[in-house]
Amino acid sequence: MEFKLEAHRIVSISLGKIYNSRVQRGGIKLHKNLLVSLVLRSARQVYLSDPCPGLYPWAGGFFFFPTGGPWRPPPQQQPGELAAGPPAGWGEPPRPPPTEPQSELSAVSEAPRVGDAVPAATVTGVGDVPQGGEADAAEAAWSRVEGPCQAAAGEAEGPAGGWAVFPLGSRAARRPCGCPLGGKDPPGTPAATPRSACCCAPRPAEDEPPAPPAVCPRKRGAAGVGGGPASCPAPSSTPLKKPRRNLEQPSSGGEDDDAEEMETGNVANLISIFGSSFSGLLRKSPGGGREEEEGGESGPEAAEPGQICCDKPVLRDMNPWSTAIVAF
Amino acid sequence: MNYPDENTYGNKADIISTVEFNHTGELLATGDKGGRVVIFQREQESKNQIHRRGEYNVYSTFQSHEPEFDYLKSLEIEEKINKIRWLPQQNAAYFLLSTNDKTVKLWKVSERDKRPEGYNLKDEEGRLRDPATITTLRVPVLRPMDLMVEATPRRVFANAHTYHINSISVNSDYETYMSADDLRINLWNFEITNQSFNIVDIKPANMEELTEVITAAEFHPHHCNTFVYSSSKGTIRLCDMRASALCDRHTKFFEEPEDPSNRSFFSEIISSISDVKFSHSGRYIMTRDYLTVKVWDLNMENRPIETYQVHDYLRSKLCSLYENDCIFDKFECVWNGSDSVIMTGSYNNFFRMFDRNTKRDVTLEASRENSKPRAILKPRKVCVGGKRRKDEISVDSLDFSKKILHTAWHPSENIIAVAATNNLYIFQDKVN
Repeated sequence: MEFKLEAHRIVSISLGKIYNSRVQRGGIKLHKNLLVSLVLRSARQVYLSDPCPGLYPWAGGFFFFPTGGPWRPPPQQQPGELAAGPPAGWGEPPRPPPTEPQSELSAVSEAPRVGDAVPAATVTGVGDVPQGGEADAAEAAWSRVEGPCQAAAGEAEGPAGGWAVFPLGSRAARRPCGCPLGGKDPPGTPAATPRSACCCAPRPAEDEPPAPPAVCPRKRGAAGVGGGPASCPAPSSTPLKKPRRNLEQPSSGGEDDDAEEMETGNVANLISIFGSSFSGLLRKSPGGGREEEEGGESGPEAAEPGQICCDKPVLRDMNPWSTAIVAF
Repeated sequence: MNYPDENTYGNKADIISTVEFNHTGELLATGDKGGRVVIFQREQESKNQIHRRGEYNVYSTFQSHEPEFDYLKSLEIEEKINKIRWLPQQNAAYFLLSTNDKTVKLWKVSERDKRPEGYNLKDEEGRLRDPATITTLRVPVLRPMDLMVEATPRRVFANAHTYHINSISVNSDYETYMSADDLRINLWNFEITNQSFNIVDIKPANMEELTEVITAAEFHPHHCNTFVYSSSKGTIRLCDMRASALCDRHTKFFEEPEDPSNRSFFSEIISSISDVKFSHSGRYIMTRDYLTVKVWDLNMENRPIETYQVHDYLRSKLCSLYENDCIFDKFECVWNGSDSVIMTGSYNNFFRMFDRNTKRDVTLEASRENSKPRAILKPRKVCVGGKRRKDEISVDSLDFSKKILHTAWHPSENIIAVAATNNLYIFQDKVN
């Protein structure tokens, strides 16, 4: 358990360093950021290798789900304990859910999303995804859990009985790149990533694709539950750049999208922005910079409205992230 | 060896970022974070002051690099001098290379102690004279003047590095030199500034696959075709430029197997090599990583022949050192002139010397409080256990903001230069 705590703390510190490196004078130091990302990876491995729902049910809940039924906190945890917050190792205590019932609802609605985000999150990094950071970022997101999803929580249990325990590590092992192989997701789970295209090359701009399309059943409506490859963006386009959620919910307001992003996509987004790749670290400007390597591909995606597919919208989303990170 | 006495030069405005003696040891150059170069010259020993060994006094100061802004990438380029390397002296002038993150410059440092007087068309202040007023002609003569040391930039080698330059090294042919950044090494000819040859490129096609970077590089002291470069993974590659134009394939690969019992989150960071130096003989290379200095025999690739613990008591503090960024400090290491002693810096203004023959080591401190001119440096000791003896300092009392990253050793004498943040200390071996 202590290892897990320390791993978590190290992940927080590392993400903070990567974030700060963007504003350092002299530009991003490739060597230092490489070393920090290696530490992130080590810490992540330790964090994942110790499957312990443990002290932080909302964090543990992201990764491990009881089979069947809505998510519940591990029985040994009491609400009082929840509110107590984590030991000092976390730095700023993660914000617990506002109230218990609300948290359950939020958590429930969270479950299917995270279920999708989790494998997708592993996709984003070629072994470099700091999963530990997901929980951190997700905590900041708890406060942003909004009504719309809570209202739909009743329906949000997702595919009934489909949630098996799936430690992230096992997902990461599916392909060298961590892509979950097709068909392994629970039935009815909207595919987090297109099966036909391995979108594992981590891209800093890829904050949206890992977010599962159906972050909330209410919003899932347009695409339907069976959003699988059919709702994937065309494989020929750069899947990483297309937020699939946006494809399925063209009418979704940006506000809602952002709120949803905070809830689950933030996890993977944070990782993809900060921890998953050096291209992210080599951005010309904070939040931007993939242009130099993906300039040719950004055209069609950038043209579509509401698509968070290039770096500028990422930049727009950065402020909530920075809150999450600074909170470390 | 005898304990050195000391000559201190205090208070630079900026933090010293590099220190280098020239090939004779007569000159000592320092570069700082503000882009300035300060050169010290050793006084000639005079018969009058037999007790005063040659002291180093300021010889020249100039601004080598200025901060720049890369508008294309919206990046500020720091003016900090990363490295200075001297060229061997071939005439009355001195030449050195200084580099920041992106640009290498060749500076000529020369003396002027005479000036011409008696121009016909100009008066003494340099104003032009009306030719109509000139009735006689005279030949200008050179008259002595106060010694003036001028530094002029003779070459600027720019726009060849995408990443941050960490090393420069002058080749033994004295015609070429190399500059290394995180992913590439370029070979330059001193005369040609608009071209350089790329001799090492470890940039992967897909940057996502990046696993290591180049951390230091140096030419062999005698074989102009051979150089080494170290990596962030703790490996050293020796390359022969005769083998191919692009030295992607190493001739030799030096790596020590990792000790699994020492594995931690920070294993990779502490194995990253921060400096690599050939011995003067060319037979050995020395590498510095975060906790150790290692000496390698060029003929044995699978492990170093010697490993010296610099400050192993930090091994249990790696997490804190990671938090405060100290774990990323890049310490340098140096050989003495005979390759019998190696020196490197540590924290709390401590620096360490290891005698390779006697296997003795000593920890010394560079500080004003503890040293007066001509005082003998007292060996220091860090206490790691519970009981702290008098004069020992405990690990928790170490000041990690006082770090000695840069040191230099005179090429033939026991004179060392130690940069402690913004102070330069010069220690000389005491002569009995």
